[in-house]
Amino acid sequence: MAEFFFFLAAIGAVGGAAGTVMLRDAFYSVLALVTHLIFLAMLFLLLRAEFVAAAQVIVYAGAVMVLYVFVVGYVGGLEAGLAGRSGPALRVISVLFAAALFVELTIALVGTGLEAINTEGAGYRAPFGEPSEVGRLFLTDYLVAFEVASLLLLVAAVGAVILARRRSGLGDANEISVTDFLKRDELTKGQGETGEMIEAGGPRGI
Amino acid sequence: MSAPLYAEIGYFEPWWMQIAKALAIFLVVFNMVPMALLADRKLLGRFQHRYGPTRVGPFGLLQAVADIGKLLFKQQFVPRDSRKWLFIAAPIISMVTAAATLAIIPFSDTVDIFGVKTGLYGVDPSIGILFAFAFGGIAFYGLMLGGWSSNSKYSFLGSMRAAAQLISYEIAQGLSIIGVIMMVGSLSLVDIVTWQEQNVWLFIPQFVGWLVFLVAGFAETNRPPFDLAEGEAELVGGYFTEYSGGRFAAFFAAEYLNMVVVSLLFTTIFFGGWDVPFWDQPNWIEPIVVLAKMWVFIFFFIWVRATLPRLRYDQLMSFGWKILLPLATLNALVTAVLVVVLD
Repeated sequence: MAEFFFFLAAIGAVGGAAGTVMLRDAFYSVLALVTHLIFLAMLFLLLRAEFVAAAQVIVYAGAVMVLYVFVVGYVGGLEAGLAGRSGPALRVISVLFAAALFVELTIALVGTGLEAINTEGAGYRAPFGEPSEVGRLFLTDYLVAFEVASLLLLVAAVGAVILARRRSGLGDANEISVTDFLKRDELTKGQGETGEMIEAGGPRGI
Repeated sequence: MSAPLYAEIGYFEPWWMQIAKALAIFLVVFNMVPMALLADRKLLGRFQHRYGPTRVGPFGLLQAVADIGKLLFKQQFVPRDSRKWLFIAAPIISMVTAAATLAIIPFSDTVDIFGVKTGLYGVDPSIGILFAFAFGGIAFYGLMLGGWSSNSKYSFLGSMRAAAQLISYEIAQGLSIIGVIMMVGSLSLVDIVTWQEQNVWLFIPQFVGWLVFLVAGFAETNRPPFDLAEGEAELVGGYFTEYSGGRFAAFFAAEYLNMVVVSLLFTTIFFGGWDVPFWDQPNWIEPIVVLAKMWVFIFFFIWVRATLPRLRYDQLMSFGWKILLPLATLNALVTAVLVVVLD
């Protein structure tokens, strides 16, 4: 049973990752990434990391990727796809970079000494992977890293607000809203009027 | 082998019991969907001084069956310019995510069935309520893909609205639960109900949290007054404008199933689940208690639908972000302080 789910999740994750890179249509590419993340969550579940699996789905599949889907949906998949110029030089370099990355990853993996790779694996201790245990570790062993990460997120959030204000040139701090963003010309093709249900301008290309 | 492998640890019931109870829970609750559909139509009629459906079966009781039968035998139209696979997959995603949350709803504690100790719930994972939020996050893709793949402006706008609404209110909903989690000290729904059995139903100490959860629950299920995603006057039918036949029925059933599931969550998290106060109820009556409480909330959903007019879209968004979210955050903060002080 465990083997079946492992291979299902592993094949799904690898397939999703490959699809993300190889699909030409940006919308499908984003969807492939979502699939990849969900199958990754399944792998976490097989490792009994229940909280990590839930966080993976809620944060990545349910929040971060939602923004991607929004943007690609509104701005529209590029009709011609993401076909860039691919000269012979670019191909050679891409192969070189891929090989370098492969070597690097191999060194990293083998270098850590995967001692358990031929054994049955570590045993299961009761609170492992549960939210209570993760929370305890966050507030004891990894407190500094945890707080630094939250500070980083705060800085990022403030930065995003400041950037959004500067770009769209909003006058009043009270006026930052999704509605104002959607009113902009490139999204409504200049048809958005004040007081209108502005998102009715519609996406491009439909 | 000293300790079992991580992945090999199952739950304490044998496999046939897990399958049996999964089937039982799904069939019982799924049959609530046509009943909710009928209740919706009958009660809406009464609220508007008319009879509602009366023709099919005695008192019109078979109306929902007739509706479903009609939809299943209609042509399943796929627009020519749609993305076919996504168009077909979207209603399935909606149904699956709506049904998956049923797995964590506890109908009773552990009981003996044919000498097998069985928990009357699908699973009781340590992540508990996060399980529901995870599937709520995936439910977004059902709406979004349905609207996007239809290749129609109305569908697209409907799905954009539905999706924006879903993610905005999910944050408030998640935060409103934190107070409960801090008081109980566990995410598991079984633990939450057991705590309420021993202490007090959580809607009393967590009154603000409950209100936020209630409003967010309305928004999450796209029920009126938050049903802008399918505002008929503006968007024809929202994200399922282009759907017909069985696929439309799937979206429709998913919406009602979501309502049933959210009612079950209200019951479980804030209204004591299977607990009846001042009475040491026998085990067999507990699932019935849960379902009865659930119907109270379904009635409330329908009542609100008959009473309140639809909001405007910008009102909906600013309400979610500027009122509910700060309120839920404040509630979590105050609860945290009180839990520490009173402990």
